[in-house]
Amino acid sequence: MAQPTLDVFQVVADPSRRQMLNLLTKDSMTINALAENFDMSRPAVSKHIKILYTAGFISIQDIGRERYCILRQDGFKELQQWIDHFDKFWLTKLKSLETILNNKVK
Amino acid sequence: MTTEIKHQWFYNQSPEEVWEYLTNAELLAKWLMDNDFKPVDGHEFQFRTKPMTNFGFDGIIYCKVLEIVPQEKLSYTWKGGPGDGTMTLDTVVSWTLHKKDNGTELHLLHTGFKEQNAMIFSIMDNGWLSNMKEIADFLNA
Repeated sequence: MAQPTLDVFQVVADPSRRQMLNLLTKDSMTINALAENFDMSRPAVSKHIKILYTAGFISIQDIGRERYCILRQDGFKELQQWIDHFDKFWLTKLKSLETILNNKVK
Repeated sequence: MTTEIKHQWFYNQSPEEVWEYLTNAELLAKWLMDNDFKPVDGHEFQFRTKPMTNFGFDGIIYCKVLEIVPQEKLSYTWKGGPGDGTMTLDTVVSWTLHKKDNGTELHLLHTGFKEQNAMIFSIMDNGWLSNMKEIADFLNA
């Protein structure tokens, strides 16, 4: 990737961007349609879209006169890594349980 | 996209002993999180950890016992959200215990992850992980 990679963590930390992604999981949307769901200025919406685009969460396609935002897999692949971390959450817990069980007073 | 997590772990203790640590709130808190669990079918309880408001998680995991078979099986819902009543995370945790000659095999199944909550949830997990490390260090000290 030529573009500097954004921290996925920061990208989805923002509630508006999470909501945009949520909306786009249902269907691809034009930037205008997306913007209608938010109480913010159009430049603010564009800024969020640019961040999502740069981070690989969405692609933008020109269809007719409209620009469509479409969900992409790349961002989610990185998120898969976070799920893997949750996997580790349980592993850490299961190991803790072992330590406690082995050390408890009989 | 992964929608479930599976683990199994072997313990040298009997299913009776392992069961205690899954179902006694005080013992459960020692290795998992603070909670008000009761081994009663339909009991609603919570696990509590640090809130992460930026990530849409209020620090409370809302649970309800779905199935309980003493020393064999336990499952409960595992839900979380930003604290406004919406549950961005809506999953189920199931434990099954298998008696072995010299101990117990514990199986964990965590299901129900959806793509849109996976992102919120997985981020929240990062915070948990650092918590876990603290706990592990505390336990090992």
